[in-house]
Amino acid sequence: MTRRIRRSGLTMPINNPRFVGRSWTRDCDYLNFDLEDSVPQSQKEYARTLVREAIEHGKKGAAEINIRINCAYPEVDVRAAAWPGVSQINFPKAETAEQIENLDALITEMERIRGIRPGTIRIGATVETTLGVANSYEIASASYRIDSFGPGTGYDMSMDMGVEMFVGFDQFFYNRGEGELIAMALGLERDGSVYMPDTTGNVGNADLALDRARASRKAGLRSGGGLHPNVVAPQNEGLTPTQEDVDDARRVLEFFSDIDARGEAEGDMDGRVVDKYEAARATEVIEWAALCASRDAEKAAARERTMAAEQAAVAESASDEQSSEQVPAAESTPDTHSEQSDDGPQVEESTSPDDPEEQEQ
Amino acid sequence: MNSTVRRSWLIVPAHDKERLELAANSGADVVALDLEDTVHDSRKHEARENIRDAIGVMRDAGSEVFVRCDPELLYADMAASVWRGLSGVILPGLTSTGQIVEADSILSQFESERGVVRPPPVGEVREADDPRGPEQALEIHLSLDTGPANWHAEELVQASNRIQSTSLGRADLKMDLREEPSGDLHLMPYLMQRLIVIANALGVEPVGAWWRSTSRGLAASHHDTLQAAITGRQAGFRGALCMKADQVAALNLGFTPSAEDVNLALTVLESEPAHTPVAAISANTLEWSDACALRDRSAALARNMGGDNDD
Repeated sequence: MTRRIRRSGLTMPINNPRFVGRSWTRDCDYLNFDLEDSVPQSQKEYARTLVREAIEHGKKGAAEINIRINCAYPEVDVRAAAWPGVSQINFPKAETAEQIENLDALITEMERIRGIRPGTIRIGATVETTLGVANSYEIASASYRIDSFGPGTGYDMSMDMGVEMFVGFDQFFYNRGEGELIAMALGLERDGSVYMPDTTGNVGNADLALDRARASRKAGLRSGGGLHPNVVAPQNEGLTPTQEDVDDARRVLEFFSDIDARGEAEGDMDGRVVDKYEAARATEVIEWAALCASRDAEKAAARERTMAAEQAAVAESASDEQSSEQVPAAESTPDTHSEQSDDGPQVEESTSPDDPEEQEQ
Repeated sequence: MNSTVRRSWLIVPAHDKERLELAANSGADVVALDLEDTVHDSRKHEARENIRDAIGVMRDAGSEVFVRCDPELLYADMAASVWRGLSGVILPGLTSTGQIVEADSILSQFESERGVVRPPPVGEVREADDPRGPEQALEIHLSLDTGPANWHAEELVQASNRIQSTSLGRADLKMDLREEPSGDLHLMPYLMQRLIVIANALGVEPVGAWWRSTSRGLAASHHDTLQAAITGRQAGFRGALCMKADQVAALNLGFTPSAEDVNLALTVLESEPAHTPVAAISANTLEWSDACALRDRSAALARNMGGDNDD
């Protein structure tokens, strides 16, 4: 299976038309449209009707589409979420393998009914409780649809553990180790990030996002995500190898090739020990850089196509308006397509984009 | 408390005559003759041919001898290694109990065929008794250097009675754990603590040092190796693997209680009732200090005797 590129992703309430409507402009590798915590209970039913429209918005920027469902009622949410175009269904507060097995079965059934190739929709199992941490290995190995896994951190986790969220030390030290070790034990992509002190809770802190992304990349982590558009560009940048990294990786491979040809297993390159592990890392860096470049080009092309199409639509609309001006006013069609009916019940937009939830991905 | 003193485990490519010579003069408690990562595939044969003689040389120099085997070439590597004077093998890269049972079985076969028993750390190598006691079985040191191995550590360590010690081996490289802004290697503090907990729970010796990203492996300076050993001892290790002969002295020093540690322990024992935990910790410090001193004296004696004890 092709390695997925998930450096950046925004989680947003699916019932917020402003967020969803602009989502394709954000340059995210993935978009996580939320049916869970950011959607009030009174809006859940309505929110489920918005998935296909959200998919269309997200696709305009070539983002991978994720839908976060509610762990309490996966049956109804999976029916709402599993549509062509969706790459992953995220299951929050995962606590048992049985939950994941059930989710897998529900997705399998919807793929069958809706003509989606089997196995297309991945599962993102998010551990956010202590029970989930304890059962992490069973959760992560419960479905072949899980191809990445990470530690239980974030706001819900801190509440369940009874610890403070924004402190100057890594209060999720154990969870972080456990989650990543399990991913490595199962051969999954590691989610999560390197710990960096954050006592502000500002999820829109671009500088911190860049520092964290760079540190995570150096530590071998490859994915990001967040709640604020400010962090998307820093994550894309920080999780992409620099040209210097790529050049260095090429030198390492060249050096290793030379010593290998001489029958040596390791050698000193400018004070650095180079061996097969360094060579493997260099190979990965080069491959990852190429994948990132390809992904960036794909997203840019999609946005260009969308913008061109929208400009053409505007031009056509203007042309239509010009034509209609020549029609007697009494014959024009009144606009009955109100925002109210289009958007459903009015949703109070989040006035606090710094909601700390899931800052720790 | 296990008082076998193995503060320094020096890994030496078994094909490299120059490094073998340095190892023999290094003062390492354990020399680990390497048939794995540091030996190129094209030189494995040559490395295997050196093992038997090297075992004798290292023992004459006062070191215990282990051989690090390639997990994909276990039979050939063990066939080259199970000779008089060998204390055990280091097994990296194993991830299932079946692999360990198989390794145990291969060791048994060669022990039996060649009358090999585990010798005392320093001194005369005895012939096999009949029947051999369990204390005479060659040891396995298990390197938990992959994700699966670490996750399944508990069951892997219990897969053979021969396993008396375990480490993360070269997990930092094999698991690609790199530098964090803090200077620690990503995940290593967690993995080390996990290893120490599991090893102690199962009664085997955890081996490791608190290497930092700036100085580890072949690049580690004397100062950084010493610091890694001291921090490692404070964290629960009593010996570590290293890659260069000139790192041995730092490990031996760092894993030996300092004069200050000993004085503090004596003071505590004078003032605290013997049954208290703090007194027990102090007694352990003194016991370990004595064991280290005895080990150093025995090794020096072995070197002075020029190998008269062996072979």
